[in-house]
Amino acid sequence: MSRKEKQSISAALAAATCSLLGAGIPAVVDAQEESAWDFNTSLLYYGEDEDRVQDFSVSAIARRMFVDDRFLTLGLTVDGLTGATPSGAIRQDVAQTFTRPSGNAAYTVPVGDLPLDDTFKDTRVAVTGGWQQPVGDTSLINVGASASREYDYTHLGVNARFATDFNRRNTTLSAGIALSIDSLDPVGGAPMPLTAMLDVGDTGNRMGDQDKDVLDLVLGVTQVVSRDLVVQANYSYSKSDGYLTDPYKILSVVDGTTGDTLTRSPTPGVEGPSHQFLFESRPGERTKHSIYGQAKYYMNGKVLDASYRYMTDDWEIDSHTVDLRYRIPFGTDRYIEPHLRFYTQTEAEFYQLSVPDSQPLPSFASSDYRLGDFDAITAGVKYGWKTRNDNEMSIRAEWYGQSGTVPANQIIGNQANRDNYPDLNAIIVQFGYRF
Amino acid sequence: MNRMIGLAVVVVLLSAGCSSMGVEPWERDVLAKDEMQLTTDALEAATDDHIYFSKEASSGGRGFGGGGCGCN
Amino acid sequence: MDIASSRNNQQREIRLCLAEDAWHGRFRAMGSPCELVCEAAKRADALELTELIAQEAWRIEDKLSRYLDGNIVARINSADGKPVGVDDETADLLDFAETLYELSERRFDVTSGVLRRVWQFDGGDQVPDPQSVRNILQYVGWHQVDWRRPVLQMPRGMEIDLGGIGKEYAVDRCASLIRTRDGSPSLVNFGGDLAATETPRRRRSWKVAVEGDAPEEPERMIDLKQGALATSGDARRFLMKNGVRYGHILDPVTGWPVPDAPRSITIAAQSCVQAGMISTLAMLKGAAAETFLDSQDVVSWCRR
Repeated sequence: MSRKEKQSISAALAAATCSLLGAGIPAVVDAQEESAWDFNTSLLYYGEDEDRVQDFSVSAIARRMFVDDRFLTLGLTVDGLTGATPSGAIRQDVAQTFTRPSGNAAYTVPVGDLPLDDTFKDTRVAVTGGWQQPVGDTSLINVGASASREYDYTHLGVNARFATDFNRRNTTLSAGIALSIDSLDPVGGAPMPLTAMLDVGDTGNRMGDQDKDVLDLVLGVTQVVSRDLVVQANYSYSKSDGYLTDPYKILSVVDGTTGDTLTRSPTPGVEGPSHQFLFESRPGERTKHSIYGQAKYYMNGKVLDASYRYMTDDWEIDSHTVDLRYRIPFGTDRYIEPHLRFYTQTEAEFYQLSVPDSQPLPSFASSDYRLGDFDAITAGVKYGWKTRNDNEMSIRAEWYGQSGTVPANQIIGNQANRDNYPDLNAIIVQFGYRF
Repeated sequence: MNRMIGLAVVVVLLSAGCSSMGVEPWERDVLAKDEMQLTTDALEAATDDHIYFSKEASSGGRGFGGGGCGCN
Repeated sequence: MDIASSRNNQQREIRLCLAEDAWHGRFRAMGSPCELVCEAAKRADALELTELIAQEAWRIEDKLSRYLDGNIVARINSADGKPVGVDDETADLLDFAETLYELSERRFDVTSGVLRRVWQFDGGDQVPDPQSVRNILQYVGWHQVDWRRPVLQMPRGMEIDLGGIGKEYAVDRCASLIRTRDGSPSLVNFGGDLAATETPRRRRSWKVAVEGDAPEEPERMIDLKQGALATSGDARRFLMKNGVRYGHILDPVTGWPVPDAPRSITIAAQSCVQAGMISTLAMLKGAAAETFLDSQDVVSWCRR
């Protein structure tokens, strides 16, 4: 039978069926086999200005569904990090030389520049695995594990979460726990806290590998308020123990009156720091509490997602985060979603811009800008669309900016003339594909 | 710290009081939409968590604390 | 589980229950478990629609059943060579059967029902001897039927069996009834032959599990947004002798099971009748089933 004759079979059948059933048969057939697998992939670029950190990242999450609503999830992320990050030392009106964290070489920062440490070329690989299954009719349980590796840091973790519905599935209570054991092997060895940065080749003040353990607990309640509104509230507790210091961050030792960094001379014939610097030190414990609330509100096709988080810890850092997203659909398969995020935090109790030589050495000190007093804004937009075979693609571009202040009582002498707090300007671009 | 406990208790009591709030099973059409899920894109959320964990002193909230890397 | 009994007949009971976000109305008809999955807002609406389609399913069952005396099929099959006048609906079904006989090159034949006298597909190994098959074959063949609407006449000993079309026809009729009534989006499912009245509103698509060999483990899950599905398969009805599996689809020309037929074919089409007929036609092609389906531009899933 020729192809033309073969094709006429279904056409003839359609005509015959029409005669049998009459009008009213739908014109369209839309049936697809459900794939057992679900993939969510993305490409990310994160870039800060002024030669600071740049990151390229590829991620994928694969989820396989099994009979009876059971799921296996596997995730992989590979990050490539380059660029430099503020070392914690302050600007000077002269050039400054530092010993690299490895202790094998030195680098010089030009007059007036913010000292940046560029020992940051690094690749990180992270994997996650998880299993979800129902428990009875109204509950479910999730268990998972995670691991990551970069040249100076290894992470291993496990987590579990239990959630139960009641009140006709309108209310869900959940409880989760996560445990991490991380180990650090900093380049050159972790420096003894609050000891001096030494000449190249001198590793006298280095220690061995360091460990850090973290316990996280999350309790949450989700509530359907109406047909268009669902809200969630979570309480989180986090306890970290071990080596919480950043082994590469330093503080400048300054004159108690002028505020200028004290100079020093390296041993003859050897390179070394031109000024006096101390390695930072943070407490060996940190306890955090957060409460988080989120609402999703449907307004005639558009969706508003608003959330707030308050965090407080025993390092005396308090923070507030407000996150707003507004999704606007176009037609049936495209949307645009503007995004705004406001963040503010207060400085850690042991944050200080520099170490004045006129005062006794504190137990803990860090000038890491990430522990300081700053406000941050994220502003961006995301555009998403459905492809021909019903898969989803999206692209988002965001600007993230931080601007901070040093407490007035920490600014000494000439420091007042300089721009002390390393403000941050970064762009985030992410492309996503789900299929 | 006591403030936190107080706040947590209020949240739990509020949720207990919500026991009659909600919708019938057949009114869940809007809630079932992808864009109405609490986390619409897990990968985007994980990316943001990671970026903010590396650049700020706070983490988590929606889920676990994130972290597990040498970035902070 | 809520029981709303609407008939005195023990077998003809309707049950209605709520699962997740839709009403499920269940009853038995045409030898299969039948279900209406309905996105009605109120229980009363879901019950009304279920009753509506149950009545239609039972009406068609009563009309076409081989086991009932006095219905049109019984009158045709006991006519003993004499002409029988039929009603419009039966005439439409016979016209359709004739078209299918031609389209399938005589392999879809509503007179082939008599072959069940020698073939019992019960999973056992009682394969008939070739002579018995040859003997019964003389009573098979639409070409022996004199069909001139509205009068049907066929030789004594021959039978008409509309079971091969009846269930799919009932599904389409019931789906139409709901559409005409402007009922809520529903899925009419009679034992695996099903049709959606329209795209569901509360979920992305109707989710259909196609049975496999293992009772608890579906062979595949299909997302149906619009249209109908029908599955032909030998999951339960077969014979096994000397390691050879005899599927229950019989070739009316030879009297024997179609060799090398796939184990299961699922088709998606605009109506359940179309889907059912294409899957039957494909099965009748045996080894050439996939080639046939590829040339037909239909959505199909084949398992060997």
